[in-house]
Amino acid sequence: MAGAALRVESLAADLGAIVGARHVLTRHSTLLAYESDALPGYHKRPRLAVFPGTQEELVSVVRRLAADGVPFVARGAGTGLSGGALADDTVLIGVQRLRRIINIDADARTATVEPGVVNATLTRAAAAFHLHYAPDPSSQAACTLGGNVAENAGGPHCLKYGVTLNHVLRATVVLPDGELVTLDRGDHGGYDLLGAFVGSEGCFGIAVELTLKLTPNPEAIITMLADFTSVAEAADATSRIIAAGIVPAALELMDQATIRAVEESVYAAGYPVDAAAVLLIEVDGPRAGLDADADAVTAICSAAGARDVKRATDAAARERLWQGRKKAFGAMGRVAPHLVVQDAVVPRTQLAELLGDIASIGARHGVRVCNVFHAGDGNLHPNIPYDADDADESARVHAAMQEIMERCIAAGGTITGEHGVGLDKLPYMERLFTADTLDAMCTLRETFDPARRANPGKVVPLRSCREWQGLPALRGGLAG
Amino acid sequence: MSLAREALHPHRVEDVADIVRDAVGGLRIRGAGSWMHVGAPVVAAHELRLDAFRGVRHYTPGDLTISVGAGTTLAEIDAATAAHGQWCPLLPWGDDRGSVGAAIATATGGPFAEALGRPRDLVLGLECVDGRGRIVRAGGRVVKNVAGFDLTRLMVGSWGTLAVITEVHLRLRARPSADVTLLVEGATTTAMRAFQHGALPPLAALPLGEATARTLGHPGPGAWLLRLGGNAPQVAAARQALARIGACIELGARSWDVVRHDQAPPPATHWTWTPLMKRVREAFDPRGVLNPGLLGEAA
Repeated sequence: MAGAALRVESLAADLGAIVGARHVLTRHSTLLAYESDALPGYHKRPRLAVFPGTQEELVSVVRRLAADGVPFVARGAGTGLSGGALADDTVLIGVQRLRRIINIDADARTATVEPGVVNATLTRAAAAFHLHYAPDPSSQAACTLGGNVAENAGGPHCLKYGVTLNHVLRATVVLPDGELVTLDRGDHGGYDLLGAFVGSEGCFGIAVELTLKLTPNPEAIITMLADFTSVAEAADATSRIIAAGIVPAALELMDQATIRAVEESVYAAGYPVDAAAVLLIEVDGPRAGLDADADAVTAICSAAGARDVKRATDAAARERLWQGRKKAFGAMGRVAPHLVVQDAVVPRTQLAELLGDIASIGARHGVRVCNVFHAGDGNLHPNIPYDADDADESARVHAAMQEIMERCIAAGGTITGEHGVGLDKLPYMERLFTADTLDAMCTLRETFDPARRANPGKVVPLRSCREWQGLPALRGGLAG
Repeated sequence: MSLAREALHPHRVEDVADIVRDAVGGLRIRGAGSWMHVGAPVVAAHELRLDAFRGVRHYTPGDLTISVGAGTTLAEIDAATAAHGQWCPLLPWGDDRGSVGAAIATATGGPFAEALGRPRDLVLGLECVDGRGRIVRAGGRVVKNVAGFDLTRLMVGSWGTLAVITEVHLRLRARPSADVTLLVEGATTTAMRAFQHGALPPLAALPLGEATARTLGHPGPGAWLLRLGGNAPQVAAARQALARIGACIELGARSWDVVRHDQAPPPATHWTWTPLMKRVREAFDPRGVLNPGLLGEAA
């Protein structure tokens, strides 16, 4: 172990020479802050954390690690919900100091940024040009754009505007071996390696610089709250709105458990607490015709059984309606000390049936499932507040979640729509994909990272990669 | 240009996998056959015909997604979806006799790509056989999916050099309730660009060459073809704004077929192969079996 300790010390010294000694952490107590992301239940402590302050420093850090074959994990703000940014006894590279907005080109509607820029910061900077960055995860006030790209993050407004993938135009990436490459969408001839990189969860390299699409602010916005006495009716209204050809900017469903959690919290938004479900619906676009869309939405909701459809009359009212939705996870903190946030997608027409099944699965296991999700995309978020220190309750939560996920897979859905696989969803990958498909995913990863040093052990179970089977255990630990 | 000597005609994806595994001398992939003239000469011993992979395999209109065999023509998809007031807005340059597999493999956009999505944005998942003979089922039928590495995006635009696409899952849209095609005459480029980027963006706006304008029966300089889509008040407002820019003549939506047909599908340019791209090609097709030479890579 003395040799290993020495190795960490000499590596820390070398990295300190690149980024400044105070931006390298090696003490266990200081590394404690990095042992989890926003998903409780996984604790993996890095052996060392390094925080480069410039793009050049980031590249130098990766090259220094490559020289010794040291694995690493990139981390933005740590708001991920899949245990994806955890470094187990290896090097964590934090990008949050790389927060320069390099350029905003208002005519071309693009922004070039460093990976540590916070999502909402870019939107604030673009506001001067009547532009914004459309993907808006609920963590947008904290999450970084580099992390968004790594996870192919979504958000309420992705229903109309598309997920992160649709908004990244170019990325300069440092590959795990230290090579610097520029990836684009293949528009000018070439494979869409940018498309492959987005959502690769840090397994293909680290984005050093990103060019993102900015979206014009809509001329007008109408936000509505529809109030239902059954979850199935709310789900049915969702399908009918989309099928009618109206593409709302957002179409979010909250069930009664969620409504109550929100209304009992400091984020109370004035939702009707006796409703079985509410739909938060926003339409935006040119002023002309927007009222017609809102009227159509109201009529569809009423026909599906809504008791009431309210319109926010001013910006403050609108803000309040959204606050309840965006802070719903936080509000659940009042219900229990821990929260499992799930992320599955099903075909939209199966939402009503699925929600019924989720309710009975929850009841059978004696756990309280709160649903708050992107209904327009069929992107479910069944969440269970619980006490992780209660072994019996933890086991029941785990069993219920597993059943819910299996039900979603059986419905022709998928196990994650925007949070990523990380560590948490690894067990489901072999249920969802064939051995050949997983093997092909391994092939793709290995073209970027032949030694599998970037975010080792995530996304695809190692045993699924034929060429890696039979090899000694992955060099996960720094001192290994 | 193709030197195919023998045609192979599989009916099942497993047969495609066997053919790829056993291939000696290269395979030229053929869908509906409408794209065979594009790209560099392919030197292949066999032509792999995918016309048996044809037809709608899964379509629930309420989900606004459709799964079709890769050899299905765009016209067939249009017919199947139109019956439900929906469309697949792929509509690439060229015509609708081509196969959807080819449109995806070549990532060919069209006049509506900016407003309605490029092929990479419209493909939710696909089934393919890679150059190693693995049957890969990537993505899925749902509109949001981040499970695993994105093999779907990798295959879109790879010109069949990494895998043979056998089935695709596509995102559909509801057809707009108001849909108007206008020819605008005498407009300045500046005014038209401003309109395009203004509050009422059209589905497409295309400056017409003289020959195309003549084909449409409206020769004259500064002619633009516009398509407005949305609800009735929106389209009415856009028409009003346009009338201030130039003289508007209403044409049928069929005009777009003329325009699309006039524009040849973009040829496979001789790519500038980066080291990373070469690694990808070698990893997925180590023997160089699929469409050898099409993209001008070094033999």
